[in-house]
Amino acid sequence: MSDASVSFRHVWKKFRYGEVHNSLRDLLPALGRRLIRRASRDDARDLQSGDFWALRDVSFEVRPGEAIGIIGPNGAGKSTVLKLLTRIVRPTRGGCTVRGRIGALIELSAGFHPDLTGRENIYLQGSIMGMHRAEIAAKFDEIVEFAGIPDFIDTPVKRYSSGMHARLGFAIAAHLDPDVLIIDEVLAVGDAAFQQKAFGRIAEMREQQVPLVVVSHQLDRIAQLCTKAILLNRGRVVHGGTPAETIAAYVGNSSSTADAIAGDSATRIESMVLRAPAQVPSGGVITVVITGTVRPHWTGTRESVMLRVASVETGITVFSTDTALNGIALPYSGAFTLEVDLQLNVPSNVYTIQSLVWDTLTSREVFPGPSAQVNVAEGLAFVGSVQMNPRLRLEHGEGAAAPTGDVTPLV
Amino acid sequence: MTPAANGRAIAAEPEEHGSAAPAPPSGRPGEIAYESFVDDEPSPTYAEDLREAATELWRFREMLYQLTLRDIRIRYKQAVIGFGWALLMPALVVLSGCLVRYAMTRKSGAPLDLAGIASIAVKALPWSFFVGTITFATQSLTGNLQLVSKVYFPRAVLPLAATLGQAFDAAIGALVLVLVLPFLDVHLSVQLLWVPVLLLLLFLLTVAASLFLSCANLFFRDVKYIVQVMLTFGIFFTPVFFDPAMMGQRLGRLIMLNPLSPLLEGLRLAIVDRHDLLLPLVAPDGVVVWSPGYLVYAALWAILGLVASAMIFHRSEFVFAEYI
Repeated sequence: MSDASVSFRHVWKKFRYGEVHNSLRDLLPALGRRLIRRASRDDARDLQSGDFWALRDVSFEVRPGEAIGIIGPNGAGKSTVLKLLTRIVRPTRGGCTVRGRIGALIELSAGFHPDLTGRENIYLQGSIMGMHRAEIAAKFDEIVEFAGIPDFIDTPVKRYSSGMHARLGFAIAAHLDPDVLIIDEVLAVGDAAFQQKAFGRIAEMREQQVPLVVVSHQLDRIAQLCTKAILLNRGRVVHGGTPAETIAAYVGNSSSTADAIAGDSATRIESMVLRAPAQVPSGGVITVVITGTVRPHWTGTRESVMLRVASVETGITVFSTDTALNGIALPYSGAFTLEVDLQLNVPSNVYTIQSLVWDTLTSREVFPGPSAQVNVAEGLAFVGSVQMNPRLRLEHGEGAAAPTGDVTPLV
Repeated sequence: MTPAANGRAIAAEPEEHGSAAPAPPSGRPGEIAYESFVDDEPSPTYAEDLREAATELWRFREMLYQLTLRDIRIRYKQAVIGFGWALLMPALVVLSGCLVRYAMTRKSGAPLDLAGIASIAVKALPWSFFVGTITFATQSLTGNLQLVSKVYFPRAVLPLAATLGQAFDAAIGALVLVLVLPFLDVHLSVQLLWVPVLLLLLFLLTVAASLFLSCANLFFRDVKYIVQVMLTFGIFFTPVFFDPAMMGQRLGRLIMLNPLSPLLEGLRLAIVDRHDLLLPLVAPDGVVVWSPGYLVYAALWAILGLVASAMIFHRSEFVFAEYI
């Protein structure tokens, strides 16, 4: 066995669509079967009617110091992976190993009872997560402080606001000192300040080499926290690798998009050149030069050349445009050169510029062109997701005769 | 939140914690040490399964304690009668028992004496413990849907906490009973040493029924209605208001087949009649009131029942989250 903290080895998990046993008549035979065989072992091989595979042959490992992100559309099997990790359900086939105490930031307040006070609920919820009285008592003040509810600790939680409720749940879970930390969409707990604090706490655990498993639709969080990622779709791992690659595969920005049908398009992109320095200041302008050819083909008139700019870190497309949107028609046939000036009004980051041929009628990528990366460096100090070309004017004193000229530190 | 802001937050952390070594993964309480399900691993034996169930339960003993505490706290918080609740149910059973017995004496001519009332009181308390536990335990899994479907823990904690919560109420009742019994002409005797043995068997039997019924109710939601009906009419098939010997030889024996009957009768004989349960007892009219075989019979029910229901429970608890 390897030294991985978490390992999934060819895990298959079967679920049923509908209700299973409805009447008492089935009770005794069903319980009799349970007595003879372990539940998860019956009929592990084949699907019966009403069954479906929630996971198919999923394998991954997480070692100490690593963090894996699991992304994918709804129903891809992400939650099932977490349920298997936390031992709520068992695999139909395959092996699943987790070493050490599991800290699950999932359903943080599942054990809370509304009539009990915050204090009583801390002990209750802590014990449900596997902590002992002495351990909880030792961390009690820290938990209350982290949740920010010292004044309400002896109030029944039914009188808490939903934010306080969630904060208390997170605070207890965050003080578990787990050997493996599993996080499911809980980074959206509380207000922005608390989210920041919660995120800091998780990052801190990662610094302590606690292996992480993160499920989130917040792709930027995955990109920041994780050392690797897998993309699940309909129960299968369809991509695995660095977070940036996996996110790109999920968002559909990679040049090998499944939807692209290369070779059937009238337009082909042959090269793409960036006229840009090694580092572009935020707000700076670059020029993209694309060359290509068009052959006479019936789809030619509805095709356009598109540029997509996506953040490498998050995989999120920040900008895209194409010839059709700009009112430019490609030639009916022959070679063409297209120059596009882009002003990079974006925060400092690495961006991928992807060229492609777009079918404006079917809204599909029909030919993946080359891509290039551009590194946007800090041009001026700002925080946010869009650079808004601020122009600052300041007048000194009363009716000051100071010059009112624009201050534009931009290129 | 902006990416830039987050970047700063992360960068600030390592200074404080950069030197922290990974925590050693062993020797801590509540730890789930190692877990592996391998495809072609041989099915575990009964003994392995039972040991696994017991180990997990021990690991989560703190949760069992906290859940029991929760159940007790909730019962007495925002409640009108508070601790009187623990006495209400047994007191009602005793009162109805006295009424029934009074009606019987009007016909038979044998008066309802203090010993008769003591008998009813001694048997009413364990009966209300059993009824209360089964009522709460049957719904303990389905009533904690959030926990069962979202969090891992040995599921037996839930019916066990219901049982322990009821045991707490029964203990309050027992305390009051101990104060009342001297006035009902019950005195100390060596035979009182049977009481802990009988109470232990009663506890095991109740746990066995709790495990089985909570599990059954998870798969089949109508179990709780059936259980309610059984408990309502169970008092006519369990010797609480009457002694089986009053029914005559054949019917009395039939009543004693109920695994609760020998335990309740044993309590009555040991406490009120000061009878040694190792010796048989025959009434003047020749009806067998007690035989040591009854004790063995009840003990077998309690122990084998517990093993079997713990087995069924443990082997099906891994699919609870899928079926609940």
